[in-house]
Amino acid sequence: MRIRLLAMTLGLLAGTAPFLLAHHSFSAEYDSNQPVKVTGVVTKVEWQNPHIWFFVDVKDAQGKVTNWGFSGGPPGVLQRRGITRSALKTGDTVIVEGFRARDGSNNASGGKVTFADGRSVFTASNEDTAPR
Amino acid sequence: MLNVPKHTAALANVIVVVLAVVANAQSKPAGQIPRAADGKPDLSGFWDNPKEPGSRGPATTFNKEKMAPFVPGGEALFYEPRTGDPRHDEPRAFCMPSGFPSAFLGPYPIQMIQTPQYLVMQTEFMNVTRIIPLDGRPHKADIEPTFYGEPIGRWEGDTLVIEAKNYKRWSLDDYYYQNPKEYRMHTEALRTIERLRRTDADTISYEFTVDDPKIFTKPWSVQWEMKRHAEWAKTGLYEMVCNENNRCEGGKCRDTK
Repeated sequence: MRIRLLAMTLGLLAGTAPFLLAHHSFSAEYDSNQPVKVTGVVTKVEWQNPHIWFFVDVKDAQGKVTNWGFSGGPPGVLQRRGITRSALKTGDTVIVEGFRARDGSNNASGGKVTFADGRSVFTASNEDTAPR
Repeated sequence: MLNVPKHTAALANVIVVVLAVVANAQSKPAGQIPRAADGKPDLSGFWDNPKEPGSRGPATTFNKEKMAPFVPGGEALFYEPRTGDPRHDEPRAFCMPSGFPSAFLGPYPIQMIQTPQYLVMQTEFMNVTRIIPLDGRPHKADIEPTFYGEPIGRWEGDTLVIEAKNYKRWSLDDYYYQNPKEYRMHTEALRTIERLRRTDADTISYEFTVDDPKIFTKPWSVQWEMKRHAEWAKTGLYEMVCNENNRCEGGKCRDTK
């Protein structure tokens, strides 16, 4: 429930102002024309600066598994909002929405994370949820 | 004269002072500002970034309408096009500094610590610290310009005026977030003037003046304010280290999964 309230709060923030929490320009690293939405299992979490990263094994229709990397907000910003490293654990099944890296690799901004039970957490800076 | 041991008298004095301070804090009328022991307004505390009064968003860019006209050739110095080289176009992605004022405009907490000699101003964004002498000393001549310039403060009544020079040519604000094709730059002739005045217990009026005679015909100013966030004192500023795990610098991701 706490997480859900947080997600609602963050959603409101995202809707009101273009918060720029990245240390870089979103457009320099990610392509807003390449939205990504995957479902998979978290394999690794790097709760580090300047952005958290987490990795997700995604299985396609043929059963082939691809590991995707997603960036999120800075740990301090997330912690001030009440989101700590315990929010995202190895083995969690998640739906991640974001935008693919410009180099075409299987990396992306991870603008929104939704858990199997419907809980939703924004892990990224707000610009990742609303790129320009 | 009562025969009271010295240490008891000293303790009594301390208690009187403490009670007076407590009483003062309790009876402080709305609008009265905290003051340091030297009588100056005390800017110490946790503040959000300077921005338009009443705004919830960050003041990461300057309002074009507030700017003075360009001198001939000034516009070309101000708007610097991108070249396609990520090290030029997006130096922050390589953990280069944001410079001043840019680093202090984003939506990160700022902690200020004030002494009679210095104002220390630190933003959580990359843990950048400005240590600002308050004696109004002259700026240094012939020193190497820097990303954060050389800020020097002086009190004008209850207003702290911080004048900074000796800047390296660098981005002025975060305009490139909005327009990926070009930067807003300042030249090495930049002089910034900040005027900080604590208007009530929770507000600093923050006037920011840009004087860059190689770009603008005259200095121009914006009127911002900073709001106090006492709750941030519980945790203090968090650490932010750019090089710890900077995976996608310049749009090329390190694949170390």
